[in-house]
Amino acid sequence: MKLSHNLQVFRAAMKMEWAQLCANRAFVILSALAAISLIVMVSLFGLTGSYAPVAVINQDHGPFSRRILEAMDHAYHSFALKFPPPETAEAELMSGRLVGILTIPNDFTAKIEHGETANLDMRVDNLNVDLTNDVQRALPAAIVANGRNFPGVRVQMEEHDVWPHDTSYISYLVVSGLALDAMLIAGILGALITAREWENQTLKMLRMTPASFAAMLLGRLVVAASAAAFALMVALLVIVQIYNVVPASLSSVLLALSLCVIIFVCLGACLGVLLKRTLTVVPLMFGLVMPFYVASGALEPARFDGEVIWRLAHLSPVYYAVGLLEWAFHGLHVTPEPIYMDLLILLALALGSILLALNRLSRGRVR
Amino acid sequence: MRVIEVNDLVCTFGGNRALDGLSFSVEAGSVIGVVGPNGAGKTTLIDSMCGLVRPQQGEVRIFGEDVLKAGAALKSRLGVLPQETALYAEVTAIQNLRFAAALFHIENSQKRIAQVLELVGLTERATDVVRTFSGGMQRRLAIARALLHNPPLLILDEPTVGVDVEARHLIWAHIRSLKAKGRTVILTTNYLDEAEALCDRMLILRKGKILSEGSPAELARRTGRCLEITCAPDFSSRLRASLGSSRAVLRSEIFDFGLRLYLASEINPEEIIHQARSFGPIEGFRARSPDLAEVFVSLSSGHEAQP
Repeated sequence: MKLSHNLQVFRAAMKMEWAQLCANRAFVILSALAAISLIVMVSLFGLTGSYAPVAVINQDHGPFSRRILEAMDHAYHSFALKFPPPETAEAELMSGRLVGILTIPNDFTAKIEHGETANLDMRVDNLNVDLTNDVQRALPAAIVANGRNFPGVRVQMEEHDVWPHDTSYISYLVVSGLALDAMLIAGILGALITAREWENQTLKMLRMTPASFAAMLLGRLVVAASAAAFALMVALLVIVQIYNVVPASLSSVLLALSLCVIIFVCLGACLGVLLKRTLTVVPLMFGLVMPFYVASGALEPARFDGEVIWRLAHLSPVYYAVGLLEWAFHGLHVTPEPIYMDLLILLALALGSILLALNRLSRGRVR
Repeated sequence: MRVIEVNDLVCTFGGNRALDGLSFSVEAGSVIGVVGPNGAGKTTLIDSMCGLVRPQQGEVRIFGEDVLKAGAALKSRLGVLPQETALYAEVTAIQNLRFAAALFHIENSQKRIAQVLELVGLTERATDVVRTFSGGMQRRLAIARALLHNPPLLILDEPTVGVDVEARHLIWAHIRSLKAKGRTVILTTNYLDEAEALCDRMLILRKGKILSEGSPAELARRTGRCLEITCAPDFSSRLRASLGSSRAVLRSEIFDFGLRLYLASEINPEEIIHQARSFGPIEGFRARSPDLAEVFVSLSSGHEAQP
């Protein structure tokens, strides 16, 4: 009797949640679009920084100037090298379409051959000091790194990689973007479920029934998690098909993503019982998620950001989710904690959230 | 058999004593009205009876069981209509009832849902989204939901608030049919006429205390009848001085168009009119039952008619 009633309540709660989602189809579609939009947003960090247009005016045409340009073209830096005529380059720099103009003087090869110092002229649009600093750091580094083939240079760098494969910045970013998606979309959907009961004042009615709140809440969370999973699958499809970021193991990614969705739906449900208002859920989720995201190893492993930020990152569930997803997607360990620890902490957060949500639903104030 | 026992109930929110030592009991098969103005403590009383509010003092026992320890069995015997209707507005009426049927573990729910929809006259609108319903229809649907599991005790918090006259009479008819079937009903209302029309007994609540209780007839006897005499302003003062001291008059007051008298229930208003005419010209008169505000003033000022 008890089990059959719980199953009946579970099914009824699923149907009710599904009916409510169907009544708000636009909301579900917008959630899926939001998932894609967030992926695009985070990847834009990388995309915009990677392609700062820089013009090269090569007045030398000797073998060393050709070699340095070929080397720069293949080296990691954030510039898109262009080769316009000098007048066009100057006009584009002044109109803000170029970040800088690198000029290789006509005596560059001759000076290298004679072991003399060769000057490279660089004009920089210092409108934005951040970009200027990038140019100041990255361009000399690229030149020096490739100057090792020049006569007389005896120092060579020997690279030993920690990981068997390189992961591009965009590949790294879009996966952390999935963690952001999971927390934001699953979290909001989970929070709406519980906050709505207070807002619609249906909690009083639910309390007066003999049904189990656990069965009721689980039924609803399953539907919310399914809707969030749908949105994340769309985002995953975009990552694989449009960004061409292919997971090392698709099954691991699907499993990790599903776990993240379930965990964040539970966290959202807890937030909903604390806020009790749907209107406050969305801005608060955005307000919480964005700093959590940036501080959680989203742009690079959090341990690279310094001790304080790394410690703060441990407060954020996104930190553990990024760890889990980067491992599932690229096989990377971006948190010093083992992956199973990331997972255990997330599960503990989800369990604690659900218990608190159930407690507030069944015992908290109804008004 | 006592269905509800409320003993020395005290509920405080912040510094406000919403219920202040309330005690009463309800016998099976009766309809009890809790009447009072906004803020009297009616909804807090209902919430306490449902176990939704934990009182600072006292207890509520329903079917002999402490409501704060109520298990599934007791909840299955209660039908509650909250003041807010508590419906899911974005889904249909039938989806709301199916959900409630599952929560109450109702066997053969389709048949029962059809019955309650028929009872409240919403069969035609069963598949319509609740958001499109009028206030009265939403209230009727909420009553249907409260009746769905056929509970022996119904707790209705302001069942006709915000509904039109037609819907109000329809809801009254449902409540009378429940009474005829021997159900126990406790309802709260702002309207004295509603309580008079439906209830066997009324509790008049004010500032968390029971101001008075009894059958509608008893309360009417205590508060008397209201007689409004329309006359010239200077004459109304003289008339008040002449009639106000009479034992037949419980209380009197001057209003814009004349004099208002509250008479003991056994007094025939025509006798007073006859006396008034002997003092001077009157333009008209009207005898009526006192409204809720007037009842409160009468009861709290101590000008009750002697039984």
